[in-house]
Amino acid sequence: MRIVIAEDTVLLREGLAGLLEDAGHEIVARVGDAQALMAVVAEHEPDLAIVDVRMPPDYEDEGMRAAADIRRAHPHTAVLVLSQHVETRHTLELVGAGGFGYLLKHRVLDVDDFLDAARRVSEGGSALDPEVVATLLSPQPHEDMLSELTPREREVLALMAEGRTNAAIAKRPWLTERTVETHVRSILGKLGLPISGDDHRRVLAVLAYLRASAV
Amino acid sequence: MRSAPRVIAWCLALAALAVVAGGLLLDRIAAQEHLPESGSVWLYPFLIAAVSAPAVVGAMIVGRQARNPIGWILVVGALSLAVVLAASPYAWVALDAHPGSLPGGSWAALVSSLWPIFFAWPLAVAFVFPDGRLPSRRWRPYALFAVGSMTLLVLVLVLSDMLEEPFSDVANPFPLRLPETVGFLRPLAWLSVFASLFIGAAAIRVRYRRSLGVERLQMLWLAYAALLIPLGVVWFLVWSLVFGDAGTGDAVVAFLLGMEVAVAIAVGVAVTRYRLYDIDRLINRTLVYSVLSASLGLVYALVSLLAGVAFGRGSTWVTALAVLTVTVTFGTLRGRAQAAVDWRFNRIRYEGLQRVRAFADDVGEGRREPEDVGVVLAAALRDPSAELLFRLPASDVYADRLGTVVMNPTGDDRSATKVKHRGQEIGLLRHNRALLARPDLLRSVLGAASLAIEIARLRVEVRIQLAEVEESRGRVVRAGYEERRRLERDLHDGAQQRLVTLGIVLRRLQRSLPREAQILGPALGSAVDEVGRAIEDLRTIAAGVRPPRLDEGLAAALADLARASPVRVDVKATDERLPEAVEAAAYFVVCEAVTNAVKHGSPSHVRVEAMVANGALRLVVLDDGGGGATLVGGTGLVGLSDRVEAQGGTLLVHSPVGAGTRIEVEIPCGS
Repeated sequence: MRIVIAEDTVLLREGLAGLLEDAGHEIVARVGDAQALMAVVAEHEPDLAIVDVRMPPDYEDEGMRAAADIRRAHPHTAVLVLSQHVETRHTLELVGAGGFGYLLKHRVLDVDDFLDAARRVSEGGSALDPEVVATLLSPQPHEDMLSELTPREREVLALMAEGRTNAAIAKRPWLTERTVETHVRSILGKLGLPISGDDHRRVLAVLAYLRASAV
Repeated sequence: MRSAPRVIAWCLALAALAVVAGGLLLDRIAAQEHLPESGSVWLYPFLIAAVSAPAVVGAMIVGRQARNPIGWILVVGALSLAVVLAASPYAWVALDAHPGSLPGGSWAALVSSLWPIFFAWPLAVAFVFPDGRLPSRRWRPYALFAVGSMTLLVLVLVLSDMLEEPFSDVANPFPLRLPETVGFLRPLAWLSVFASLFIGAAAIRVRYRRSLGVERLQMLWLAYAALLIPLGVVWFLVWSLVFGDAGTGDAVVAFLLGMEVAVAIAVGVAVTRYRLYDIDRLINRTLVYSVLSASLGLVYALVSLLAGVAFGRGSTWVTALAVLTVTVTFGTLRGRAQAAVDWRFNRIRYEGLQRVRAFADDVGEGRREPEDVGVVLAAALRDPSAELLFRLPASDVYADRLGTVVMNPTGDDRSATKVKHRGQEIGLLRHNRALLARPDLLRSVLGAASLAIEIARLRVEVRIQLAEVEESRGRVVRAGYEERRRLERDLHDGAQQRLVTLGIVLRRLQRSLPREAQILGPALGSAVDEVGRAIEDLRTIAAGVRPPRLDEGLAAALADLARASPVRVDVKATDERLPEAVEAAAYFVVCEAVTNAVKHGSPSHVRVEAMVANGALRLVVLDDGGGGATLVGGTGLVGLSDRVEAQGGTLLVHSPVGAGTRIEVEIPCGS
């Protein structure tokens, strides 16, 4: 994969780059702010841009806005946004469109998971941090529908919402791929969503459902 | 500045004084020869004053307004008066006391018979007061008539066969005589001089009617002096009743001389404008004390009469009783006389004072606010444009009744009068310029209102201070929220980033270990786990300092709060964005309330509502726990209350024992 990294903390940026290079990816550019990011994306058209949310000059949500711009202007470049803390304002729309991921920064320490998320996103899939999913699944707003799910089904739904495939979900010690499929079919049935063999489509449907009911 | 006219005027004034002093000296010499016609010694001060008053006033006016002929009229008038006055004793000494000792005795007798010159300067002033010009061109013939009649009278006196009393036996030294055929000229001259005096009075009257503002006050001064004439007549009558005819001549002379002094002083005040504005008060006082004297006299007479019948005439008890009664009734009568005079002659002042006093009573009884005093003053002074500003004691600035500071209190075409209470400036009244002509009205009405003004300004000051304290408390709390946000940022962007970086470094080390060093793998793995736990701790701390989800609004932050809570928390919150400090305050209030409920009431369920209505955020936190929460006694609720009040809001706690707790909070949010 050809990757650009936008992160203003130099040590963290180099660490990330090293991690990705160790995994065999090519880092084509490393920048420290959103403007430079847009420039290198336009120049290299990479497979993936890994972007910090808060960057100079204002340290607000420059990275998130740059991510939206990249997805619009360069559909072939996927974006994985890294954030210090949960923020759902623009996340859901972008995740719903695919080719986009949103993870808390410290998830990087789970290297295999992180690399998997990067790969998924670059292939047009999505990745959503478990904490964000938890806020979406919080009981109050749409208790009526979600309350019909069993605890185990909830766990599977959360993993689906994070953007994982059946195979990935089945890696948990308490599940086999067959039971996962059963759970998925049951969940989609209870929520009234179409059953599809395509992982990405399924994730999008789940996210769309959660987003719509989250008001 | 020294200037020729001024020097000349003062020389003439001094000459007049010297002449009258010489005359008095000669009078003493004549008196030693026991001549019956010499003046009484007690008249001397009157004589000196009658000359010195116009002389000094005239010289002063010349010094200040050299172009105003009134100064010269006074100085020349004083000198001619001095000469006429001194001529009489000169003639006595030269002709009777020490014949031949002084030359020209009969000429002096002739000059002394010119005493009607006495009227000349007051008459001249009457025509040209106060600016030295006639009231209008139409007055020119009348002025010429006055000059002509005065000249005619002097001529008739100089050319007559006989000199005036008491020198009727002295031969007129003037070589020319009037022919017998024109003997009618003498009464004619006297008549026309009297007519001129009336015309002069008419000129003053016309001028007064036309006058406005300062000129009106100038005219009032002259009129006041002239008004002394009828009072003088009364005095003269009383004098003749008490002393009989004896000394009446001297009394008349003293009165005429006193008139001269009064008119001179009035002219001086009016033209130099020194204490010009006191005229209204002076007239008022004169009227009040006249009425008071008459009333007291009446009381004295009545008591004397009645007591005389009871105790017999001449008893000392009668006098004692009468004096006692007068003393006792003085205070009451004085107030009554003042009110009566005000009511009759100064209705505006009377009613204005009544209004202010009624207001002061209302304030005392709590029926009106002291701050209304400005409105009351505008009504009392009949000036709708009047506006009262309070001088704030702490900051020494002017502010209106709402405490709004007025930077430029004298910035428009209104006049501004300072209000004082016990020598301290307590306010400033902006008012129509026309009120300056009524200084007595302003002074008395402001005086009556000063206590109310003092109270009002202290109240305004306290209110301002309180608002400042509240404002600063709000600032402190807002600064606290700002500080929390900064700290949260520092934790997330600083410490957390470093830990993540450290974790990555360790991970890379772990993953790049050569086969023979694989033994280190688990150790590095647990080091990374430790870093991960440190990050989790840090995130928990940061969220406690300030949940970053507040950036997304109150509803998002409260939803997170509910999810993290150990009991079921239902949240119904507005999606509306509110000012940052309001959202922060609301979040921490709910956070604290929920924590408090869980800690003390062990509820199974907490309900949180946060809705905006009528420009305020309304929070309700309701639990089904044990209740019994109070705002006193060190619970977290006190901190909540402080937080809410700093935001200008209110907090109510309803927590009966055993029936759960309901906390209601309202925070104004201006939306």
